[in-house]
Amino acid sequence: MNIVPFQFKPSQSQDSLLARNTLLKLGDIVKIQVKRSEGGANNYQSFEVPYSQHMRVLDALNYIADHQAPDLAYRWFCGSKMCGSCAVRMNGREVLACWEAVLPEMTIDPLRNLPVIRDLVVDRTPYEKRVASYKPWLERDEPYSGFPEPLTHRDMKSVSKALDCISCMACYSACPVIGLGDLTNFEGPAPLVQLAQTMLDPRNGAKKVASTLESIDIFSCVSCYKCEEVCPSHIPIVSMIIEPLKRKVAEVHPEKARHALVFKSIIARRGWIDPTELVLRTQGFKALLNVRRVITLLLRGKVNPVKTLFGRAKVSAAAAARFITKDKS
Amino acid sequence: MKLAYYPGCSAQSTCAELNTATLLVAKKLGLELTQLFTATCTGARELRAVDPLAFYSLNVRILALAEKDNLPVMTVCNTCTLNLLDAQTAFQEDPALAEKINERLAEEGLHYSGGTRITHFLWVLFEEIGEERLKSMFVRQLPGLNVAAFYGCHITRPPLQYGFVDSRNNTSLERLAVLVGSQPIDYTGRTECCGFHTAAEDENIAVNMTANHIASAKANGATAMVTPCPLCHTVLDTLQPEMNKGRKAPFKMPVLHLSQLVGLALGLEPDELKIDKHVVSVSNINRWFGRPPSVVERELA
Repeated sequence: MNIVPFQFKPSQSQDSLLARNTLLKLGDIVKIQVKRSEGGANNYQSFEVPYSQHMRVLDALNYIADHQAPDLAYRWFCGSKMCGSCAVRMNGREVLACWEAVLPEMTIDPLRNLPVIRDLVVDRTPYEKRVASYKPWLERDEPYSGFPEPLTHRDMKSVSKALDCISCMACYSACPVIGLGDLTNFEGPAPLVQLAQTMLDPRNGAKKVASTLESIDIFSCVSCYKCEEVCPSHIPIVSMIIEPLKRKVAEVHPEKARHALVFKSIIARRGWIDPTELVLRTQGFKALLNVRRVITLLLRGKVNPVKTLFGRAKVSAAAAARFITKDKS
Repeated sequence: MKLAYYPGCSAQSTCAELNTATLLVAKKLGLELTQLFTATCTGARELRAVDPLAFYSLNVRILALAEKDNLPVMTVCNTCTLNLLDAQTAFQEDPALAEKINERLAEEGLHYSGGTRITHFLWVLFEEIGEERLKSMFVRQLPGLNVAAFYGCHITRPPLQYGFVDSRNNTSLERLAVLVGSQPIDYTGRTECCGFHTAAEDENIAVNMTANHIASAKANGATAMVTPCPLCHTVLDTLQPEMNKGRKAPFKMPVLHLSQLVGLALGLEPDELKIDKHVVSVSNINRWFGRPPSVVERELA
């Protein structure tokens, strides 16, 4: 058996920009491995780049292109964290090359989950096509009433966060559900942020919202927060974009939000979740068709039909019932 | 030391063994737990999405119940922890929301002033008890165990939420593995997602994602995994048979709850800690203690 023991590295919680800038000084050499398209799956080309003051990954790539590999393909434009062109993976993590300080040893890969055109350049058209398919503009139900429109900052809280998006695709690369490929139809964090700009705008017409949300898979989000972790604009993608979108879907297409609405109703009645009731009401009785699992769960005491049918936590249930708003149905 | 204990829904149902193990281990560690029996579910992810006001209210209610006894609240589930921290932040930052919630709590005679400290059993081990004291209480070592830690998303992300661990600085479970005398294993799934929160609706996501993690753990030499979250445990353990479909060799990777691993080192027995209640059984637990397998085990192997 090949045992790979865990290596305790020095703490990275002190990984601020200041800390990074003190790791290297003028005269040091930065060792970089860059993924090249030619040469197969494991082709990394090694470079050594002299450290310059406050060097960013982009500076290193520019140095390599200027002096060592003029055919290296990579994108950049503004160099100031605004255009979203230069996202790559550094040591496995999605970063903006123009803003990320270098480490003494780095491996640079292209973003995941998008086709690689060459080296570090990925094809953004799957994303662009998906966003275009949402018809991402407002279609008002009522004609524009005239300036000023009564709109508060609270109304636009989620949308204003979504508008911070620079379409860098870091979140899309980090998303493990998108990483499963064709297994799901999940939209992905980046498209959903674009979608939120119109779907969560209170000026948008109800018909437009309902028809757009009908064909969208939002509920495959696993809430892992990997998107929030890498977003250079610090958009709270899960809590301010995806969850409000889920709420919208639950309002206009409750049949798509079955699991969430069943979850809510169980808490309202029991105070706690009974997983048996949750699974049976979400999946239907076909959940019982996995006989082997049902028997194993019964034998190990992991399900308790008596408790499911007759158990009640009175005080908890009463409290939950008071706080949970009833569905309008 | 005294703590309010919030077990969450899973530890009171499908992972009841976690509750049993935690209560036994707490006693040995000298933690006096007051269980919050009249609390409710924290709402996982679903309630926060479809009824945010109810979500905040129920979570603040849990914090208020702990505040009544002037105790910090200890969880044993990652999502519960995230939710309580989230509600705490919202309560402290939005006075209008705080007022609304306190109005609702007043109907029950409760009130929250924002002071409850929220902690997870994993953090209690390192912050309240500390490695030195733990070491002195561990009467048994597990030198025959190669354990891969599965942290779970909700105590590692979003970043900056948790002062104790974040996804690039997680080493607590590996340090614990060393303290119990076992060998911590490095693999790709350490701080990845198990997919639990889509599992009730569509198991495919969780099964596929987690199969990769267990495969990596196995390929790197792990003989068991440990997790501080019962939701992750449910996918890793209860859904493991689904991951074996179409696989040449089944994984047979036992998954421990954090308190069970600690319990073994404290001298508690596997059946006291209800390790036999898992779907994936441990076939050779004596080997973990460095004891040669019993005669029966050798014959069955």
